[in-house]
Parts: sequence; C-alpha cells; structure tokens
Amino acid sequence: MVFSSLPFLFFYLTVVLLVYKLSPLKLRNLFLFLASLFFYAWGEPVYIVIMFLSTAIDYTHGMLVEKWRANDKKARMAVASSVFFNLAILFFFKYWDFLMGSINAITGWSLPLFGIPLPIGISFYTFQTMSYTIDVYRQDAPVQKNIITFGTFVTLFPQLIAGPIIQYKSVAEQLMHREEGLGKFVSGVERFSVGLAKKVLLANAIGSMWDAFLAMSGEELTVVGAWLGLAAYAFQIYFDFSGYSDMAVGLGRMIGFEFMENFNYPYISKSIVEFWKRWHISLTNWFREYLYFPLGGSRCSKGKWIRNILIVWVLTGIWHGAGWNFLLWGLYYAVWMLAERLFLGKYLEKLPAAVQHVYTMVIVLIGWCLFAVEDMGHLGRYLAACFGGAQFISANTLYYLRTYLPMLVILVVASTPAVKKLWNRQKENVRLVVSPVLVLGVLILCTACLVDASYNPFLYFRF
Amino acid sequence: MKLRKTMQIVTAAVFCIFLYGFGIAHILLPDETFSPVENRYLQTMPTFSWQGLKDGDYTADLETYLEDQFPLRDGWIGLKTRYEYLLGKREFGDESRGIVYVCGDKLISKVQKNDRADQNVNYLSQLVEKTDIPVYVAMIPTAAEIWRDQLPEGAESMDQWAYLEQVKDTGAIYVDVGGLLAEHSDESIFYRTDHHWTSLGAYYGYAAFMEALGVTPEALGEKTTVSTDFNGTLYSTSGVHWLTPDEIDTYVSGEGVTVTVNDGQTESTHGLYVEENLIGKDKYTYFMGGNNPLYIIENPNAATDETLLVVRDSYADSLAPFLSQQYGTIYMIDLRYYRTPVADYAASIGADAILVNYSVENFQKDDNIIFMGQ
Repeated sequence: MVFSSLPFLFFYLTVVLLVYKLSPLKLRNLFLFLASLFFYAWGEPVYIVIMFLSTAIDYTHGMLVEKWRANDKKARMAVASSVFFNLAILFFFKYWDFLMGSINAITGWSLPLFGIPLPIGISFYTFQTMSYTIDVYRQDAPVQKNIITFGTFVTLFPQLIAGPIIQYKSVAEQLMHREEGLGKFVSGVERFSVGLAKKVLLANAIGSMWDAFLAMSGEELTVVGAWLGLAAYAFQIYFDFSGYSDMAVGLGRMIGFEFMENFNYPYISKSIVEFWKRWHISLTNWFREYLYFPLGGSRCSKGKWIRNILIVWVLTGIWHGAGWNFLLWGLYYAVWMLAERLFLGKYLEKLPAAVQHVYTMVIVLIGWCLFAVEDMGHLGRYLAACFGGAQFISANTLYYLRTYLPMLVILVVASTPAVKKLWNRQKENVRLVVSPVLVLGVLILCTACLVDASYNPFLYFRF
Repeated sequence: MKLRKTMQIVTAAVFCIFLYGFGIAHILLPDETFSPVENRYLQTMPTFSWQGLKDGDYTADLETYLEDQFPLRDGWIGLKTRYEYLLGKREFGDESRGIVYVCGDKLISKVQKNDRADQNVNYLSQLVEKTDIPVYVAMIPTAAEIWRDQLPEGAESMDQWAYLEQVKDTGAIYVDVGGLLAEHSDESIFYRTDHHWTSLGAYYGYAAFMEALGVTPEALGEKTTVSTDFNGTLYSTSGVHWLTPDEIDTYVSGEGVTVTVNDGQTESTHGLYVEENLIGKDKYTYFMGGNNPLYIIENPNAATDETLLVVRDSYADSLAPFLSQQYGTIYMIDLRYYRTPVADYAASIGADAILVNYSVENFQKDDNIIFMGQ
C-alpha cells in the first residue's frame, strides 16, 4: 500500500489510528506489528514471509551478540552472519537476475534467472535490520529481548517502503516509551499534509511532463526540451521522495515516534559534497556509519581513501536499482566527490554563489539523466540533445514550457526554504489559525487528484 | 495558550472528520454500476478469492473499486480538472482513453499516428484491386486538423493532410471531404464536446461525395434541433465539465426510411433516428442507434434505386440521413463487429458502389481494416 492512495488515507489510516489510540499501552506494539504486516501484505501477500524471516533472523543474531559479548571473536561472527543473511536476501531478490543476466550476456551461458518481482521496500528494510545487530554489537543500543517489539521495528509501516532508513539506535528507546499527546499528533498531521501535498500536488503534476520528454525520439527532442525534461524529473523525484519522507515523519509523530529528517533543500546546494549532505540523508548516514568509517574513511592513505569513496558510491549507485545506469550514476558521483575534495572545491569556493549553484545543478541534472534513462542507447541520444545534438527549441517545447510554467515557478519556490521562512515569520496565533485551513485545503485537493488517479506512480520499485 | 490548545483540537478535528467522514460515507452510500458522466462501467465490489489475493488482483480491484465508488466522484474529478486548468494545463485524459486539448470553448481530441497507419492504406489499395465495383474513399480529417489553429499553440497532433495524400494514391476514387470541411471551418462542423462531426459537417461530407459522383447534392434542409444538452465523449474523457453542452441538429426528416439493424443475433427495424437515445448519456447514438455490425437503410423515395455499401466508423451514422436521399438501399458495415472480406461482401449484396467512410483517426489505427485487403 502507498500513502498517497484512497485505501490508505480513508480506510487503513483511519482504522489503524482509532484502534491504536484505543489499545492499552502494552498492546500497542503488537497492534502496530500486525497492522504493519497488513500494510506490507497489501500488494504482494506472499512477501510477508520476508518480514517474518527478517524479524526472526535479526532477533536471533541480536541475542547471540549479547550472549557472546565476552568473546569478541564470536560476537563478530554473529554480526558477520547477520550482515550475510540480510545481504543474501537483498542479493537474491534484487541482484540475482541482473548479475546472472549480465554474465549470460557476456559468456553465452544460461545461468538460471528467476524473474521474481522485487519485494517493495526491500533495500530500505534490509538496511534497517542490518543496523540493529551492528548497533547492539557496538553497544550503541541495548539488545531487544521482546520479539514483538523487535518485529515492530522491522515492519513499522510509516518508513517501511520508502525510508527514511532508521538506524536501530535512534528508535531503540522509542520502541518502548513513546511520548504522545495532542501537540505531537497535530504536528504529525501538519507534516503528513505537507508530504501528501508534495507528492500528489507537485511531484505527480510535473511527472507527466518528464514522461512526455522521455518518450520523445531523437528528432522530437530539442536542447531546451531536454533540459526542461531533466528539470521536470529533478522536481518529480525530489518532491516525491521528500514528500514520502515527510509523510513518514508525520505518521510517526501521530503514533508517537520521532524519525530523522531525510532531506534538507538539496537543490540550494553550492557543491556536490553539499548536495549529498542534503539529499537522502538517512542513506548517506547509513553508508558513512556502517561502511565508510569501518573501511577507514578518510583517515588513511590517499589511495585507500579513494578506494573507500569508490566502494561507497558504487554501492550507493546500485542500491538504487540493479542496472548499469545506476552503477554509472554511482561512479559519476564518486568522480565528482573526489574531484571536489582533491582540487575543484578550492576553486569553486572563490566563484560567485550563482555560478556555484549553476555548477551544482548542471551536474545534478546530468546525474538524473543517468539515473532515469535506463536504456543506454536512449541515454546517449538524450545526453546528445542536452549538449546541442538537436534543434535548439521548437513550438512543441514552447507548448510544454507555457502549459507548465506556473507549476515550474511553484516548484522552484518550493525547492527553497522561502516558504518555510515565510511561515516561521508569522505570529504564532496566525499560524495556529491558518494551519487547519491549509490542512483542509491539502486534503480536498489531494482527494480530488487521487479519485481520478490516472497518474500516481510509485517511483521506488527499483530501490 | 488557550488559543493554541483550541486550534490544535480544530486541526486534529479537521483531519479526522475529513478522513472518517468520507470513509464512512463511502461504506454507507450505495454503489453505482455505470457512470453517465464518464460514460463507462464502474468497478463494483470485487469478490474475494485466495487466488486473487495471491496474484494481487484482489487488492488492485479493491483499490479501483474505492476510487470508482468514492462519494461525489464526479465532483472531485471536476475539481481536479479545474485546478489543473488554472495552473496552465491544457491537455487532459491519458494515453489509453485518449488525450484531449482544451481549446477555449471546445475540446479537441489529439490524434497520434499509429504503427498500423501505413499498412491500412495498403489494405485499401488491395480492396480497389480486388473488386470491379467502384470504390470511393471519403476520409474525414478530424477537428484536430481542420481546427488546428485553435489548438493550444505548439500542441502536437498527427499531420492528417499528409496521410490523406497517401490515401489519394490508393487507386480509390478520392472524395475531397477535407477540402470542403476546410472551406467551412468557421461553421459548427464538429461538436465542441464530442469527437464526431455534426450533421452540418456530415452534410459537407455528403456534398463532397455527390460531387465525386457527378451528382448535384440536395440543398441543406431545414434545421431541427433535437437536443441542447449533449455532453459528448470528450466531455467524459477530459473531466472538463464547464463548457456549454452541444446541440444536436438534423436536416433530413427521414420520412419513409426504414433501418434494419442486425446486432449479430437479432434483427429489428426503426427509423433513421432513435428518439429514446436522446434521454441517455451517449446522445450521438440518436443517429442510427449506435454501434452495430450491420445496418440496412431502405428509402423508396430516394433519387435512385441503386445499392451502396458503406464500410465505415461511427462518423457515418450522421452521414447516413443525407446518403439515404440518394440511394434506395444502403448497407453499412462496421468491420470491428462485422468481420468479413469486403470485396466478396460487396459482390454478394450486388452493390453498385462502395464508400469507405472513416475519420483519419480511426482508419489509421483500426486493426480490422485488414478485411479490406482480403
């Protein structure tokens, strides 16, 4: 089930909130566990097995780490085993067909492909469960002895399918004691509404423009059109993804959780390094804490450091999907990260801010092109169009520019902290009175858009 | 402090009342099976099965059910369309239902070139070769071509004139419908909320055909307005509900004309017009009665007692009244439902002429044109 859908809003969420708030405190985790399983089973009931499997495996490994606390070698074995199982699940469902297919293509062998659909959100929750055993081993969090409580962590529906990627240590305490109350509930409602509006009113609205440009052949594309299309995709993925994270944070607050922020206005960045501090923060944090630092981070020889950067970014790339374009996308960012850290950054800082913004956005947009166009031939044609391999502009490009112009202006403004600043500048009384009006407005417009759901994609099926 | 508490309660209440209110209303309100506004059947409550659950069909149907049966559905769709229009959007609908441009006071359907387009022209050439009966082709460029200057600036639509050039080379006798329509493009020759031509547009089609036959066309008769609240197919697919409905006019009385309908199983007869269809949604079916495999139109008072075979799409429904003035007997077959080799069929009914009458849009994408080549 996805948040931005009628079944979720009008049936799932209403029932879950009602029963949850009526349940005695002791039973709330059990109920959340069951409700989350239902949430996950909605699209692919069979994969509920993965939820049980994940819960059982990681619960056991946590206990083993605790048991072998005195014997570091054994405890490490337990951590390694847990990581192995999680990666095995991820590898089997997500990468097997890609890897075997590639080997078959190169060697002419016929290794078996399974063609099984990717379980939704698998990259998000395997990373979350991996963090558990490691956190317990590092004594960043206590072991969880109650399997229901642990199951609640594994399956928690607000961030199960599209992040943020929660590290166990950040919610360990909340799993047992959560502060609830009217204030927190209302702030959850407000945050959820912001996210819903971003997804339904902004991301979906501009997504159709990207689809139009993506579908164009080499002859129809223009230079302006190609860049316009990439801008549309950049807006779509940002508002879709950050909208999902906002909804997750909002839903979490409604039931007493406080999740980390996942986006911080990435498109105002002045360098690629800064961009990745603002984009999908929970993923970058995860890789930093559980991979980059253990590898030695930057506190090692230059050669090793370059190796570490490459490893992290290749993995970041294919985390987003099993495909060559995602690998390319990861490498692309590895190169820019290295370049900025090694020499480019120094020069960049001296340039006017506007130039730094343009520099960053051009790199990010080309990055999205690698990310979004999965067919290599088409990718080549599209990039060629971006850099002058097409007519400059056409009447049709102008048609799209004209009919999407008001939306593009809204998206540009919404990508900056301007709206938030304006909101915070208002007196508290004004904010209090306007808030329910805005919430109602968002609900009305989003319902209208969802009832006629001709365009409401879920972008993370490949993640 | 007091205000904060009060307003927090208000915000929470707004959120809850909205979600619970519509959720409960959804359950309580009776389900509809057909939407007159959208002109389609709605998803009803799916029946549960373990297999369906396992395949994901059950939950997918349930989601469609919740959307289709949502309280005030038509109102929500109207609101969405208005909101998007306000933000500058000018094309509505989708690839499967068709893209519709909003062009001021009218809706125009975008025509996209189909992969079959070229092959279908070949099938027409084959028909000409296969039969000794003269084949006339009256291909109708749609509103997207005749009224191209009214499309949103820069909006794409297939080059129908170029396609008509291909049609001219088939060897069929070319009826210049497009030329005459273009001459009269400032008149109401297409509906504003439906993709079909109006009776006036059809009259020019008839006049072009008579010209090709070397016959002087009958003058346009007196106009009778039979409906003033026709919301057509484009109204349904676009969700644009704020335009003035169309009127449906006729110019031929149809007195003494009988239409025999064969719907594949039974035969029945009625006149040129089906009065009761003016009550329903799809009022265009007032002409002839809607999509059927075969119509036989007989008019003892026609100018000649010749027999005409019309191979056609639904545009021919409003052309038929004018044709019935000329031909004593007209067979109208729709290849989508009457799948038969055209040349043999024409011979079997003793046709004096064959008229291929399609809109460019339908002809180039129809996968049954192959029967013309057989």
